Amino acid sequence: MSPTLSRRALLAGTAALAAPLAARAQKPGSVTAAIYPGAWEEAFRDLVAPALKKSYNIELEMQALFAVDQVAKFAASRGAPPFDCFVLDPGPRATALERGMFEKFDASKLASRAAIPAALVDEWGIGCNAQVVGIAYNPKKLPKPKGYADLFKEPWVSRLGLTGFGTTFGTVSLIEIAKIFGGSETNIDPALAELKKVLPKIAAVSSPAALPGLFQQGQCDVTYTNTQTVTTLKDRGVDIEFAVPETGATTFLTTLHIAKGCENMDAAYKYIDTAVSKGVQDALQKPPYNFIPVNKEVALGKDLPMRSLDEMSKFVTHDWSKINPLRGQWIDRFNREMAK
Amino acid sequence: MAWWLRKAGIEGETRVQFRPVPPAMTEAASLRGHTLDVLGLGVRYGAFTALDNVGLSVRAGEVLALLGPSGCGKTTLLRTVAGFVRQTAGRVLIDGAGIDDLPPNRRRVGIVFQNYALFPHMTVAENVAYGLKARREAAPRIAARVAELLEMVQLGALRDRRPAQLSGGQQQRVALARALAIEPSILLLDEPFAALDRSLRLDMQIEIKRLQRQLGLTAILVTHDQDEAMSVADRIAVMRRGRIEQLGAPVEVYDQPATLFVAGFIGTTNRLPCTVDGMARLRLADGTPLPVPAGALPPGPALLTVRPEQLELRDEAGPGCFPVELGLALPLGGQTVREARLADGTPIRLTEPRLGAIRDLGARAFCGLAPGARPALFPRPTPEEE
Amino acid sequence: MSSAAALPAPRARGAAAPALSPWGLAAPLGLAYAAFFAAPLFMLFAVSFYADEQMTRFGLDQWRRFLFDSFHWKVIADTLLLGLKAVAATVLLGFPLALVYRAASPRWQRVLLFVVIMPLLTSVVVRTFAWIVILGREGVVNQLVLGLGLAAEPLRLLQTELGLVISLTQIEMPLLLLPLLSVMSRIDPNLMDASASLGASPWRTLFRVILPLAAPGLAAGCLLVFASATTAFISQSVIGGGRLVYLPSMIWQQAMIAAHWPFAATAAIALLVSVSAVIAVIAYAGRVAGGRVHG
Repeated sequence: MSPTLSRRALLAGTAALAAPLAARAQKPGSVTAAIYPGAWEEAFRDLVAPALKKSYNIELEMQALFAVDQVAKFAASRGAPPFDCFVLDPGPRATALERGMFEKFDASKLASRAAIPAALVDEWGIGCNAQVVGIAYNPKKLPKPKGYADLFKEPWVSRLGLTGFGTTFGTVSLIEIAKIFGGSETNIDPALAELKKVLPKIAAVSSPAALPGLFQQGQCDVTYTNTQTVTTLKDRGVDIEFAVPETGATTFLTTLHIAKGCENMDAAYKYIDTAVSKGVQDALQKPPYNFIPVNKEVALGKDLPMRSLDEMSKFVTHDWSKINPLRGQWIDRFNREMAK
Repeated sequence: MAWWLRKAGIEGETRVQFRPVPPAMTEAASLRGHTLDVLGLGVRYGAFTALDNVGLSVRAGEVLALLGPSGCGKTTLLRTVAGFVRQTAGRVLIDGAGIDDLPPNRRRVGIVFQNYALFPHMTVAENVAYGLKARREAAPRIAARVAELLEMVQLGALRDRRPAQLSGGQQQRVALARALAIEPSILLLDEPFAALDRSLRLDMQIEIKRLQRQLGLTAILVTHDQDEAMSVADRIAVMRRGRIEQLGAPVEVYDQPATLFVAGFIGTTNRLPCTVDGMARLRLADGTPLPVPAGALPPGPALLTVRPEQLELRDEAGPGCFPVELGLALPLGGQTVREARLADGTPIRLTEPRLGAIRDLGARAFCGLAPGARPALFPRPTPEEE
Repeated sequence: MSSAAALPAPRARGAAAPALSPWGLAAPLGLAYAAFFAAPLFMLFAVSFYADEQMTRFGLDQWRRFLFDSFHWKVIADTLLLGLKAVAATVLLGFPLALVYRAASPRWQRVLLFVVIMPLLTSVVVRTFAWIVILGREGVVNQLVLGLGLAAEPLRLLQTELGLVISLTQIEMPLLLLPLLSVMSRIDPNLMDASASLGASPWRTLFRVILPLAAPGLAAGCLLVFASATTAFISQSVIGGGRLVYLPSMIWQQAMIAAHWPFAATAAIALLVSVSAVIAVIAYAGRVAGGRVHG
């Protein structure tokens, strides 16, 4: 038995156990989309599914899967994709792309094509949500920091909340910090070295999920995060403002892709078209979701650090095909350097 | 080797005889001659009065039985003496000294519980040694004393068993040995025989009584079984609703019940409704005059309580005799218990010698007081008083 | 024993009755167990023996990487120690509570039982985030401490092991108390009276009578608390924060973010083995103490 075969068998088994009811009915007039559990799943059930039904009479079936699970489940399925569409952040997108999991994407098939900035579309998929990452701080307690370098100085450093490489926004922020101290997209050592120097002063080293709660409770008053978190906390009455670092805001996309071997191409395009349409994007920008829209026809919220989507082409972006192979190590390094 | 064989016989629930008490123990001054005085004791739980002004004295070397129906306060009294319940009024004295402020572990009151309450995780020997260890006796002395006590209750061979491996009777003996190990000034026995079967119960009653005599123990026995109280106790306190109704020797309580309740609770009693007339004479409901002095009662309705053995059957009418219709006859040992009915339907029971003439069911006869019988007379209670 | 020996007799006589052997009755559960526990566990073992992240070839690389690294041993030790601290704290607080429960009137027992079970009725996530509010820099505890002038600076409770143990104590308390209360309430109250009447102080009664008799329930509770505290991923990462590294969050990071399944599987097996080893010791201790009662 070749190792590859047995690996497939293992993955197939794992996936079968993870979702015993995975066998899906291939109905015409329906599309199956993988979607992140939690807020994304709620948003798509409440907004995308009714719109898709109304516009095209297509039923949306959703499978709640984290990015890693989408990739693993697809890998285990051997040519019969368990869902028609992926939703992925840049890291897993790069992995899936490397492994040939996407169909080619033809944006001209979308009715909303003209409203989507060219930078958000490529031959493999389309952005359905942008994240803009910068610094969040409590304006009642701290002056506005100029950039990431300020986070290592008083008064900010003793009120700083950190997260590691567990999230995309955490990873890109740590890369930006590394760049200031002489590092690069593939060398985050300077960031860790500088963090280690100020570690005893830092207010919190937190899991990403806990950070908004810690900020709200005053455990920390400055951190790097995305605009979505800032807007959400602000809506709850938390004293929080978003600051664009002097090195520039960072941005990345959450993208939709059509799974290789999809037999339902037409419905898949209609699903994607609905997800980026003006109506859905408009609703997604509102609380409680606070997404950054990808549709130019949607008026941007006042708290966002740009007035039009075209400005985003000036924001900092990263090459995840380089980051991905290093990320596991970085997570490990972060654990070791930060551990008490 | 004889004791070995005898011990082997203990395995089954057969006749048990405790070993003679070692001379060292009978002479132990600590066990002998303690008195217990309970003065005006009251226990209230909110609105409920469990004990109401109870007073009694237990003499040195005496067994006093607390007898009464469940809920009468006898167990509360026992637990107050032991220190588990704090009284709301009154005092408890041992040898004349108040023990009210002592916690249970400093009262030196030994208890045998109804369910024995042996420590299930300890062996027989460890159970018996428990109180000695708590008193921090030296190890050799504990070992000697445990051996002595187990020998006394004939359980030396089972010393390493756990309580779950013992029969009920054996468990009771362990409980007794454990209580006696601390040389208690007072021994409290809380329904100790209730869980034993009938034949074993009598054996244990005799053995405990003998042991108590030999050791000169002062003991309180709580029971709801009048036979048990009669056979084991020197005196009986009959309790009801938190009060002592009567305190006296068993014979006295039986023959001269102080209250209607005592008369009914102890032994079998016939209750004959009658009337005291203006000349202090007693008449049965049908008018038959009875030769019972009634001067102590005011004229009016009364109740005569007569034991079955205080009545006898006659074939012909005579003074003080009333007609009855005979019912079932139940031969019980040397006597026959006969059921009968008065003319007004009141059911009675009386005893007949078995040697006498055999009378038929349904036959008519006459009934009168046996010579020398002294039945008790009470004012007839109103329904509320019952 | 005698009842088991008597079983075959009626079956031999009643040939018409369908033979419902205990094995047959247990089959559905057994199959479910095989499918949903044994098989995944086997696959977990198998995955840990892939040499590389892409799972293309077998090798002991991940095991070497895990075992020959003192950091990982420290993480294991920290994880087990966290479990033991949670057990110690729950026992120190829970055992007295169980004594109170035992002595309480039936009405108060119902109230206490409700209070004890209440944490189980709220989700772990809610409970954990509630502890942020309590332990935070501006939280209830610090407001009290600062208000009473007990400290000039807010105490650092969140993101410390102390804070984590405090919250785990509350979160895991029902797991200790439920088995403990059930065993404790079966202890004959006369035993305590007997002990007192034999001259034992309340402390001696506690250590010589109550504690040995409660040992089986206590051991069962400790076992549950330990297993639960060492694997309390949410509490560990939310209350403990990034500077306290325990095995569950390491496994999660490797499996869900780094997508390095072989290494995650290796770490998962390390967690399974080390936690099971401690559980075996606790269970053995409980059996020794409990065996004295039932043997």
